[in-house]
Order: sequence, then structure tokens, then C-alpha cells
Amino acid sequence: MTLLTKLLNNYPYVAAVILFFLGAVTILTKSNLFKKLIGISILQSGIFLIFIAAGNIRGGIAPLLSESPIHEGLPYINPLPSALILTGIVVSVSVTAFALALVVRLYKIYGTTDAVKISEMISEMSNNDSYTG
Amino acid sequence: MTAIQGNLPVFIIIAPLFVGFIFPTIAKKQKLLDTILLGTEALFLVLAVIMAASVLTGESTPYLMGGWSAPWGIQLVADDLAAFFALVVAVVSFPVVLYASGHTLEEEVGGPLRRARFFTLLFLLVGALAGIAFTHDMFNVFVLVEVVTISCCGLVSASRRSKAVFAAFDYLILVTLASVFILAGIGFIYIVTGHLNMEFAHQVLMNNWLVYPHVVWLAFSFLLVGFGLKSALFPLHVWLPDAHGEAPSPASAVLSGLAVKGYIVCLIKFLFVVMGIDLIKAYMINTLLFGLGMVAILAGAVLALNQTQLKRRLAFSTVSQIGYFYLGLGLLNVTGLAGTLFYLASHALTKACLFLCSGVLIEATGKHSIKDLAGVGKKMPITMGIFTVASLSLVGIPLFSGFVGKWNILLGCLQEGSLLLGCGVVTAGSILCGAYMFPIIRIAFFEPAPEQDLHDPGIKKLAALGLLALAIVVLGVFPGPLLELAQRAAETLLAQL
Repeated sequence: MTLLTKLLNNYPYVAAVILFFLGAVTILTKSNLFKKLIGISILQSGIFLIFIAAGNIRGGIAPLLSESPIHEGLPYINPLPSALILTGIVVSVSVTAFALALVVRLYKIYGTTDAVKISEMISEMSNNDSYTG
Repeated sequence: MTAIQGNLPVFIIIAPLFVGFIFPTIAKKQKLLDTILLGTEALFLVLAVIMAASVLTGESTPYLMGGWSAPWGIQLVADDLAAFFALVVAVVSFPVVLYASGHTLEEEVGGPLRRARFFTLLFLLVGALAGIAFTHDMFNVFVLVEVVTISCCGLVSASRRSKAVFAAFDYLILVTLASVFILAGIGFIYIVTGHLNMEFAHQVLMNNWLVYPHVVWLAFSFLLVGFGLKSALFPLHVWLPDAHGEAPSPASAVLSGLAVKGYIVCLIKFLFVVMGIDLIKAYMINTLLFGLGMVAILAGAVLALNQTQLKRRLAFSTVSQIGYFYLGLGLLNVTGLAGTLFYLASHALTKACLFLCSGVLIEATGKHSIKDLAGVGKKMPITMGIFTVASLSLVGIPLFSGFVGKWNILLGCLQEGSLLLGCGVVTAGSILCGAYMFPIIRIAFFEPAPEQDLHDPGIKKLAALGLLALAIVVLGVFPGPLLELAQRAAETLLAQL
């Protein structure tokens, strides 16, 4: 019973683990390149959630100097993880953009976005030095 | 002068990063682009040499970004390891850029704009690697690792060969996965310690790792898998042959020579600075690294034997050589670790040289297969001669730099008392390395020469290859200063309390 309460009390971490595995399974099992990218995004969200949850305090306030009496005595949350994850999100967006550009180029070359079909085509024309623009 | 010297670590990092973005704007002006390219690289090399010299004579100093002191601000530390790796990056990247300047890349990469973008990515990679050398902040490591990763993928996809696009995509998926693992590892360390600065995290970790043994274990598992995947440790190497084999030759040279080493340096920092010897021993990570290294050496070499294409054989050879680094990291004594660091430098030079030579050979013959190289040594004696020098260094023949590194790793194995396993595997790896490198040389020199009209490349490419070969021989005969730097770096890393 204690385990269940622990899990319920730390539900962001549980959600993070679920997202992590959801993403991992998507990357491994789907052969569509877009779905692989979606999987990576989900997986990254899971890790971001761990960071954010670690910095958060329930009932805490943003670490700004405030004179309002409502905020008195309340704990500050740690802003550092949120700031770091902002960087992490920027990185993940740029990786996704780059990967999508590669998918577009792959589609132009092979006419499909299926990883299995593309690798079949590549092994068929192996050692054949084809150049594209 | 003092303003520059005092801020040397920052200058070394930002010089390539800033200049890199100029290239696409001056893509059409070939001469100007080449001048800026080589000028910046030369400046980078000079700064790195000054840095290494001042670290060798003086004390290492932490550099505080923006004047904020350590737990709050971001720290760059110019210590022995940092100066050592920055020097390696500079010495290897200069000949590669020299090789790639001019019209060389037209066939492999494309027109002026694509070539200019190629150099932007190359400079991003070099700047980020220099950053990895100096940084002492865990989140900085993540950001720099991401920069290295994306520019590596860009360099692979810069090739006009259609297979390269899929190789780059595969590479991107796997290394992004690895980045997420690294971020998770850093996150767990931050959760346990509350610090992102490596020194401070280490101190807190020493106090409270017994309170959260499983979280610490989880954090370092994530980091180990992440960096293992990025540096192509054997079972996680699947992306490497495609990516390094399909990339344009100068890109293969930096990818195999430098990028992979950058991840190893990151791992060294996490293991020895953040974790420290006691924790490594408590979690038995040294045994794990030693074992994984042995498997990688043998498996990579056996896989390399099966390859029929020149660049793919060299790529699998990298998988095998990566094993030496992991084996050396598992030794935990000064000789072994210094040998590992020295071998890291040696392998960077050697593999860059081999990939550039293979680029020359492929460009001249137009063929990728090893059996098509029959007799090219008679038509292109200088190129094949340099290829031979680099191969001898890769195998570990005395008088070449690879020998010094492997010898010290062997001595480290002996100090650990691992005569049969450690020394046996290191030697077997060398013998297998000879078995896959020497046939190439035999085919090139002792088979009848082809009808094709072949000759050695122009003076610039020969100079680039010659510089690398010269560095290999000089380091093999006089390893002195670099070995001393490596030894001092190893001592500082192992002396952590």
C-alpha cells in the first residue's frame, strides 16, 4: 500500500517514466520515419518532465521578490531546472527540424518514408555510387 | 596581450564558433573564404599551443564566466586535460581544413554554397569540441554535446551520395536517444546533489551517495549508455560504419578522429571528476569498462576484417580502437590512464590521416573497394607511403605514435596484474589490426599497376597529409611534452579525493 501512495504522491515521475517508455517503444517498433521522430519527442518530454518535477514545490511561488502578503512565508521553487529545460526544449526543436529536413530529402530520393523499405532499396543498389543533387 | 592570455579559454572556444557563421555569406568568394578558413584554423592552433605551453609551465586556473564565482557562475577550467584535448583538436583539425579548402569538395559535397555550409558545420564541431575540453559545468557538457551531435549529422548528410542521407538519419535518431540519456543522467545527478558544477557535485555526491545509492547508480548508467552510444562502444556501434563510411572524406576524418574522442573526454570528466575513484570502485564501473573495452577491441577488429570497402574497413577499425580507450579507463592507474589519453591523441592523428588518404585514393581511382587499389602504390607513392606510416602507427609499431600509447596501456595492465586478459587482448587487437591494415598496403604496392593514369594529389593535399604523418612520427620518436601533459592530466584525475 505504501508503494502505491508513494507513486500517487510522485505522479509526475510516474508520468515521466510512462512517457519515456512510450517514446522508446515508438522509436523501436515503428518503421515510419515520422513516427520515429514523434517517439523521440515523446521520450524527450519524459526527461524534461523529470527535471521540471524535481524543481517544483507544491504551493511554492516563483522566486521573485514580492511585497504582497499572500506570498509571505511561502517557499520559493527552484527556477534552475525550468531554465535548463528551456534550453533543452530549444535543442530538441532544432534536432526535430533537422530530422524533418532529412526525411524530406529521403522522400525525394526514395519516394517513401518507411525505414524498412528504404534500407531494402539501399541494400539492393549497394556499392552503386549514386549521386543526388 | 595579457587580456588575450587571461581570457584564452574563451577565445579558443569562440574563435571557430563565431567565424563559422561567416562562411555562407561569402560562399561565392572562394579565395576570401579559404583565407579566413585557414587563418582562423592557424589562429586556433597558435592559441591552443600557447595554452598547452602555459599549462605545462604553470598552474591550471579556473576561468569564471562573467566574473561569477563557482557554484553560481559557469566555470571553464584550463587544466592539463583541457589543454591536452584542445591541442589535439587544433592539431588534427588544421590539416583537415587545409585538405578540404579549395575546390576539393566539389565532387563529394557540391557547389559553393553547400561547401560553405560544410565549413560552418565543421567549425561548429571544432568550437564545441574545444568547449568540451574546457567546460566544468554538467549542463554545458550537454549543450556542447548536442552541438557536436547536430554538426556531425550535418557533416554526414553533406555528402551528395544518396546513401549518406539515410546514414545521417539513422545516426541522428540514435545519437538523439543518447543525448536524452545523457540529459537524464545529468538530471539525476542534479536532483541528488543540487549542483551542476562538477567539483561541487562531486563533493556533495561523496557525502550523500550512500543515502541514494540507486539514484546515483541510475544516473551513471544513463551517462554510460549515452556516451557509449555516442562514442560507438561495441554493441552500440551500429550507426558508426554507415555514418563514417558515407560522409565526405574530410568529414570522416574529423568524425572518426575528433568527435568520438570528444565524447570519451566527457565520459572521463563525468567518471573521474564528478564520480571520483571511490565511487567508481564502489559501483565496479572500472571492471565493467575493462570488460566492455576488451569485447570492443576484438569484435571491432573481427568485423573490420570482413569489410571489402576501404572507408568501411577504417570505420570498423575505429570501433576496435574505441575499445582501447574504454579498457584504459577501466585500469585506474596513472600509467594506464596517461597511455589512454596519449593513445586518444595518437588515434585522432592516425585515423584522420588514414581517412584523408582514403579520400585521395577514392578521388583518384573513383572506386571504393579495397581490391580496386591494386598497384596504386606504384603510381601514387607519396600518398600510399603516408597511408603506410599511419597504418604502422595504428597497429602500434615502435617509432610511431600508436606504439607509445599502446605500450603505456600495456604497462598499466601489468600494474593491475592483468597479464593474461589485459595484455593478451591489447596484443591480439594489434595483431588483428595488422591483419586488416597490411593487406591494403600489400595490394597497393605489390600488385601490378593499373592502366589508369594516376598521380599524387596537389601540393596542398600532400602538405595536409604530410603534416599529419610528421606529427605521427614526431610523437612516436619524441613523445616527451605531450606524454608529460597526459601523465599530469592522469595524475590530477586520479588524485581526486
